[in-house]
Amino acid sequence: MRIGMPHMGNLYIPFKALFQRLNIDFVIPPVNNQRTLSLGVRYSPEGMCIPFKLTMGNLIEAAELGADTLLMPAGSGICRLGYYAKTQEHILHDLGYDAEIVCLGVSSQRKLFGLLEMIKRLSNNAPWAKIISAFRFGLAKLNAMDRIERVVQKARPVEQVKGTANRLFAQAIKAIDQADDYGTLKRVQRDYLDQLNQATRNGNTQPLIVGITGEFYVLLEPFSNLDVEKELGKLGVEVRRTTFISEWTKFSLFLNPLGMNEKDRIHKAALPYLKRDIGGDGWESVGEKVLHAKEYDGLIHLAPFTCMPEIVAQNIMPSTKENIPVLTILCDEQLGKPGMLTRLEAFVDLLKHRRRAKVKT
Amino acid sequence: MIKVGIPRALLYYQYYPMWKTFFEELGAEVVVSPPTTQAILSSGSSRVVAETCLPVKAFCGHVLALAGECDYLFIPAIRSVKSRIYNCSKFLGLPDMTKAVTPESPPILDIDIDINQGKRELYQAIYKLGRRFTWNPLKVRQAAIAAWQAHLKYMQLMSDQDLNPLQAIERISNTTEVEPKTPPDNPTPPQATIALIGHPYLLYDEHINHRLIHRLEQAHYKVLTPEMLTAEGLESATARLVGGAYWTYEEEVVGAGGHYLESGTDGVIGIMAFGCGPDSLMMDIVHRRAARLRTTPFMSLTLEEHTAEAGVATRLEAFLDMIQRRKRRQAEVCV
Repeated sequence: MRIGMPHMGNLYIPFKALFQRLNIDFVIPPVNNQRTLSLGVRYSPEGMCIPFKLTMGNLIEAAELGADTLLMPAGSGICRLGYYAKTQEHILHDLGYDAEIVCLGVSSQRKLFGLLEMIKRLSNNAPWAKIISAFRFGLAKLNAMDRIERVVQKARPVEQVKGTANRLFAQAIKAIDQADDYGTLKRVQRDYLDQLNQATRNGNTQPLIVGITGEFYVLLEPFSNLDVEKELGKLGVEVRRTTFISEWTKFSLFLNPLGMNEKDRIHKAALPYLKRDIGGDGWESVGEKVLHAKEYDGLIHLAPFTCMPEIVAQNIMPSTKENIPVLTILCDEQLGKPGMLTRLEAFVDLLKHRRRAKVKT
Repeated sequence: MIKVGIPRALLYYQYYPMWKTFFEELGAEVVVSPPTTQAILSSGSSRVVAETCLPVKAFCGHVLALAGECDYLFIPAIRSVKSRIYNCSKFLGLPDMTKAVTPESPPILDIDIDINQGKRELYQAIYKLGRRFTWNPLKVRQAAIAAWQAHLKYMQLMSDQDLNPLQAIERISNTTEVEPKTPPDNPTPPQATIALIGHPYLLYDEHINHRLIHRLEQAHYKVLTPEMLTAEGLESATARLVGGAYWTYEEEVVGAGGHYLESGTDGVIGIMAFGCGPDSLMMDIVHRRAARLRTTPFMSLTLEEHTAEAGVATRLEAFLDMIQRRKRRQAEVCV
């Protein structure tokens, strides 16, 4: 049994650590690239969203590397995501790959236990102690990466030498990937956080703050959004994002079962405009606009083309009382970099004007 | 008398008799928007973002057509009508979205239908809706029971007499019993049978689908639709193809598709709207099934507001020609 799984940002690193510690045979398909996208587009139904197409490409590339057990998130009551695995299995079989798709429940009630049970099955019944320790180590890597990413987002607009933050971030990810124990991991994290702090200018420039919200996958997979965060950084904008995988894990695996929900605040903010959960991240998108209207200069709303919940959110957003500029970028295989850059530049110009006008009054 | 408006779009085709009975039992008058026209569709699509799917655009047009004609608009948010099977986000967000994009619409009566929350929640939701009309819970209860009876009668009518929703609604609304039409002018047997699969709001909105059923009938084809199958038949066909439904309205696509592909019809036409999330997956499942079986020709038509009538007509003609050719060849082989 050889395991493969699709990419989403750097999520492969914690999983790699987990599998290595449990001696599970696994392959990591090449990180998302043009070939992945082409494969995905060629074999997916045309009306599907970009997360489906990219993960389809990943699964095909994993199957090419000999993976016969593929992990895919699934569940009911979310959006099309719950149907991905079914269709992708059909497609893989039609292509002649004899691979089985194992569903990772992301909406079920027993998330954490279900996940651990699945790992136990995949690892040929490894002892629970070993599974839990490996799982904890994977989580530690995930948390370290996200902690550094938050600092990188702040550092990008105020770095002394352009490109330092991105370079350090790439190095940090690599170092975290290679770290073998908690000690190294901690040292790596401290090291890079120090370097990032040194690389920033210590003046009191106040960069524009742009929130970035929308659908989970396109937010977290830079290949699908054409590195929108890096591009905004280049334009001197500080990006704020509330969606992080570590946050998601923390809440949906550990705190939600205890009755705590990080999203309650966001949902409450959205209530006057959207009264109910519509699946996916539509409710959160509306909520974030309302909630952060005062602290952000503008909001970038990322959504895959034909994403059902985000279309509803996009229709509702303009009518909120809380008025900040929102730029919706629809991501699909047709999204081109120059077009996106032009729109970003225009958007940032608009925000600059607004800020200047505000300062004057 | 309070006037309640019901847009002639989306779930109208599934639930109209039920809704109408409910509101009339509560002493309200029900107003329905006129059939879709180009003006209705254009006015709707001018309000929503371009990526929104065609049926929702039409829906907004119908809402605009009802603005000023009624005191309330009835737009339910139907999350789930079967255990652990959920609906598309657009249905869930429909009341809020309508409020956002058509601010001039009358106040919206919304009701959350989610069977997974338990019966109590459902009854409370119905009571909450009924309370806008009366304080008497018994009256609401009576209205709800009458509405459910009306719905059952409607479903029965369609599957027993092979009627489509439009004919059935007409039959129900006319108090005088209309004699079932016997085909007078074309006694010749139909050339072949064609099954149409898709959601009722696409199949029966003649403007959206460019009178597809009419075209087929004019060319002497017998048209079969998902409503003509029994619930059990649809369910078992869905289970065969995908192991059980994931979407609320999956059976009318995957189930009907699976059934008709294997039941000896001469061709199956799948109708979907561009940008429809669930359909993009469900039609693909049917398509793959057809490709694997290789027994029944299958064509899928994607509708959007730019679909020119001539384009639809051409594709339909080509498909029908192919079916004719196929039938002729089969007949030759048999001889």
